[in-house]
Parts: sequence; structure tokens; C-alpha cells
Amino acid sequence: MNAVYTLIIGFAAIYLGYSFYAKNIHKNIMKPDDKKATPAKMYMDGVDFSPANRNVLFGYQFKSIAALGPITGPIVAVQWGWLPALIWIIVGTFFIGWVQDYTSIMLGVREEGQSFGALSYRFISPRSRSILLTFIYFYLLLIMAAFGKIVGYDLMTNPAVPLGVLLVISIGLLAGQMTYKWKMDIIMTSIVTVVLAFVGIWLGTLPAVQSLFSSINGAVVSTAADGTKTTTYALVFGSVTRPQFIWSLVTLIICYFGAVLPIWRWAQPINYVAFWIVFLGILAGTIGLLIWHPAFPSDFPAFTNWSGNLCAAADCSGIETKPPALGFLWPILFVTIACGAVSGWHSLVSSSGTARQLEKESDSLYVGGGAMFLEMFLAILSLLTAVVGVGVTKGFAGYVNMIAAGKNAGVFAVGLSEMMAKIGVPTSFGLPYGSVFLTLMGLTIMYLVVRFMRVASAEFLGDKVSLFKNTTFGTLVALLISALLIYTGFWARIWVLFGGANQLMASLALLLATLWLMTNGKKYMWTFIPFIFMFVTTIAALLMTAYNLLKQVLTTPDLPIDKVIGNWLAGFIAIYLVIAAVILAWDAIKALMRLRTQVPVKAN
Amino acid sequence: MPDDKEKKRGMLDGFKSVLYGMAGHDMARYALKTRGSMEHLFILITMGDLLGIPILPPYYSLRLLPYVVPQVSTWKRRMLREKDLTDALA
Repeated sequence: MNAVYTLIIGFAAIYLGYSFYAKNIHKNIMKPDDKKATPAKMYMDGVDFSPANRNVLFGYQFKSIAALGPITGPIVAVQWGWLPALIWIIVGTFFIGWVQDYTSIMLGVREEGQSFGALSYRFISPRSRSILLTFIYFYLLLIMAAFGKIVGYDLMTNPAVPLGVLLVISIGLLAGQMTYKWKMDIIMTSIVTVVLAFVGIWLGTLPAVQSLFSSINGAVVSTAADGTKTTTYALVFGSVTRPQFIWSLVTLIICYFGAVLPIWRWAQPINYVAFWIVFLGILAGTIGLLIWHPAFPSDFPAFTNWSGNLCAAADCSGIETKPPALGFLWPILFVTIACGAVSGWHSLVSSSGTARQLEKESDSLYVGGGAMFLEMFLAILSLLTAVVGVGVTKGFAGYVNMIAAGKNAGVFAVGLSEMMAKIGVPTSFGLPYGSVFLTLMGLTIMYLVVRFMRVASAEFLGDKVSLFKNTTFGTLVALLISALLIYTGFWARIWVLFGGANQLMASLALLLATLWLMTNGKKYMWTFIPFIFMFVTTIAALLMTAYNLLKQVLTTPDLPIDKVIGNWLAGFIAIYLVIAAVILAWDAIKALMRLRTQVPVKAN
Repeated sequence: MPDDKEKKRGMLDGFKSVLYGMAGHDMARYALKTRGSMEHLFILITMGDLLGIPILPPYYSLRLLPYVVPQVSTWKRRMLREKDLTDALA
């Protein structure tokens, strides 16, 4: 199959899903009424509640929902073959993804802009609010671990990347200074800082710079008798190598500043410069792919096997560390691709952010559903970076080698650089560019997550231990817990746990939507069936992963100490998430039963 | 023909708005939030006078009151609205 056909299939799914299924539900079930004042108008305070143009909100929603999830998930999921991944991205978005995003917005709009905590208190049970918030805390911790490992273990360990990242961060600070202190024109600021950022990324690719960072990493290059070169690194503790230790630490330090400094000083201007790097990268990659229009390589299997075992599908004899089999296609694939098909993160952004800015009820489908369908396109593009970007140039064996080396995000960087090469961008620049692009995407979310964890610990524990009210202390605690999981967890397992927590959050959002629809006497099967599917799938995925983690600790005699700690920690987080979700579901069943015995309210 | 031009301009404006939403809307929101927090401080300063209990020297309160009074209704809404941790995410 040609890569362009895949994009055409994606567009057809977007057209059919948006124009028929989504619009039908929007018009006939939700029945938006533009005469009703939205919370943005009714409670306008010029701060949280403030109406915004639908196009602006579409951009805001898309930027808020698209991070490393839709990029890394599809690449990892190709371990079952590209076909199951592609089907889940399309079908998941079509029947579940947009439904969750859209209903989260509509719920917020129809319920006076209330957040999910307040809504779960009302629709499920009083205790569900506290459970939901602790659940969110652990979910965010898993985001930190999954993204932190991608950035610190995978992307930044490439010696061509760190200087680019550090310079882009410095240039971001300059952007903040130019905008807020020197009051310079935003267009001039954008041009200067984006050009400087490109120069910064290019500087990182210079041989002298790469050699400097290789020496910082402590790379030892040995040459075998047949001339093949192998790079090894010293271990700091357990199985953690020196570059992994250094760059994960640097990532956490960057997050510290992002979480404690004023947003305008650090996070916001860096995110602004990063946005242009990401935007231009996606644009260049898409154009390059269309010009290139390669066919899927014949050796890249559409389906590998049910267990996602790469070594059963390819020759792994030359690979020292074999990539682990991810697990059964159901349920693991459905949580491996989280964002890009359906994601609980979206529901948080939609209910607390977007719903309070919607000018008209009729804008909700365009903003919520439209942004989700666009994210589906990003996920397909990401899938293609693995299948054709890496597949055509390095073959399926090249993909297997990169996954075995833990270079999951690296696959995207390589694939994107191959696509950009078709419009004249050399791969020597494109590869670090793709890595910097992903690093910045990860950091954008990580700042926000650490901030949230700090606020959460102050809220939960501040009254008992006043030290938690201290910004620095709360941030350091959040970073220490994150560091523990980053340095000790198995990435593939952490990713599945993150995906599981994310999808579980999505299923809880769908549950709230179902209860709300029932309360209002509207048809609810279009949210109830996705809820059941996501809930059962994610609980199964979390239980399977917890079992695998704990089994590995108990049955592997010489497991490094870091992995022992990481497996226990991740296993217990998984079990906690399951228990929390089951309690929420139990309360929800009781709420459902209550509603079923009540006389339904006539739909308005 | 003018319709075509208008349509093209509409599309261009739409694209610009989407781009602004991705790149700059967050910054504008944060600026508004900062302003909101500052307004809260001013309201707090004049709260005593609004209740009839002078706390600050009346000179300063009287200078601030004309700016603060129009904000009181939105301030009340913000204060009385139920908030939770997820508010910190968006």
C-alpha cells in the first residue's frame, strides 16, 4: 500500500466520522441551542470564563491535546504490525475519541462550566471527587515517568540533541524577555527567536559539539575484528547508564524551573518558540511525505503476531537486548495507542479549559470533535514515520533494532528526517531537529504536570504538613517521585501503565457523560458502549501489566536493583488505579440504578 | 468574484485564528489570569471600606474604589465558584 493511500483513508474517516456520525449526534441528540448563554458568556469574568472565537479555540484545543502521546503510541504499537495500529487509530477516534472530547465540552457547557471533580460529586457520589483527584495525581505521575524516560533516556542521550534543546530553552527565555520586558513586537520576536532556534539546533549537529557531548556521556567506542563499532557507557547504578542518569537529571532540573518560575518567565515563552519548531516540522514532514509518496516496504508486516513479539517476526540474533513482547493485542494495543485514538487528558482540558471559553453551543463539535480528528491525522503521520520513514530506509530490521535499543521516539525523529529530506532538509539536521521537536513537546506537558502535582500535594497534605504549601518543597517532592519512577521503571511497562491510566480517565469521562445523558432523558448508548469497552479494556490492561511487573520481580533472580524498585512501585500504582477505578465504577453503577428507577426527564 | 475574494480572505483569517489559538491564546489567557489576580488584591485592599470598616487610610481606598467597584460582581462569581485541582490544568 502507498503511504498516501493511508492518508486518504485517514481523511475519508475524518470526513465520514465528522460529517455524518458526529454531526448526526450533535444535531439530533445534543441539540445545541445558540440562543442559550454558554458559561463563557453567562459567567464572563475575563479570566477563566471568557468567550473566544471558534477557530482560536480549535487551535487552543488541538495544541492542548497533542503531545507525545499521539506520536509515540502508534510507533510502539507497530510491534503488532501496522494494520492493527491503523485500524485502532481510525476506529477508536471514529467511535470513542471524538465522543469523549465532545461530550466533555458539552457537559461543561450545559453544567455551568463545572469541573470533572464537581461533576463526579454530583453525578456519581461524594467520595468519587476525592478518588478522582488522587487518581489524577497518579495518572500525572505516570505521564512524568513515561515522558521523562522518552526525553532523558531516548532523545537527549543523542549527542547531537542536548545543545539544541538547551539553546532553544535559552532562546525561549529571550522571547519572554523581548515580549514582556522589552515590549517588542510579537512578529519581530517570533522571527528572531525562531531563526535563532534553528541556528541553535544546527549548532548541536557540529562534530565538535557532538564530540563534547559524547565525552560528557562517557561514550566508549570499541571496534570489533570485523570493523563494526560498538558504543558502550558506564553504569551509574543498577542498569542506569551515565548519559541516561545525566540527561534525565537535566530534564528534571528543567522541569523544576518550569514549575516554580512564573509562567510568563519560563514555560510560556519556551512553549511559544517550541510551537513554531513543532508546527514547521509537522508541515515539512507532511509535504515531504506527499512528494515522496513511498509504498509500504514489503518486509514490514501488516500483522506480526498476537503478542507483539518482534523477535518472533524478525531475526533478533544480532540484538543483545531483545525487545520484550508487549502482551496480547487485546487489551494492550488499545492502551498503547492512547492519544491519537482516545485519551483522558483531553477530557480534563475540554471540561476545565475549553468549555469555559465556548461562545456558542454549536461550536462544540467543531472545536472538540474537529481537534480530535486532526489529532488522529497526527497519529497516522506518526505511524507512517515508523512504517515508511524508517521501514523504507532501514527496513523492518531497522525498526526492530531501534525498538530494541529503546529508541521509540527516535523512530519518529528518523522517520521525520527522512520525510523532510524529500524537500531538501539534510537528514544530518533533520534527525536532531526531530529529536529536539519531540523533547520540547514532552517538556511542555511535563512543566504543567509538575505544577499540578505541586498544587495537588499542597491541597491534600498542606493542612497536615505545612511544608507542602512551600512551592519549592512541593515541586521537589513531585520531581523526586518522578525521578524514582524514571530511573527505575521499564519504559515499555510504564508506557502501558500511562496509557492504561489515560484510557481509564477517558472511560470515566464517558461514564460521566452517560450519567448526564440519562439524567437529561437523552439517548446514551453512544457513550455507554464506548465506556464499557474502554473500562473493561483498561482494567484488563492494568491488571495484566501489574501481574507482569510483579511476576518479573518475583521470578527473575538477578534483576538489577533499580528494576526491582521500579517494578514494585509501578505495580502498586497500577493496582491502586484499578482499585480507584473499581470504586468509582461501583458508585457509578449505584447511580445508574438510581437513574433507571426514576422517571426520565423529557429531553429539551 | 468579490465573493471568491471574501471567501479566500475568510479562510485566511480562519487559518490565522487557528494558528493564534495554537501559538498565542495560552499567553493571552495567562495575562488575563494575572490581571484577575491583581484585581483580587485591589478588591481585598478596599474590602474594609466596601463593608464600612475602614482598614486602609481612606485616601488610598477612595482612589482605588472607582476601579474596583465595576469588578465586584465578577470577583464575587470567581470567589464563590466551586474550584478543584483540575482548574490548574487549563
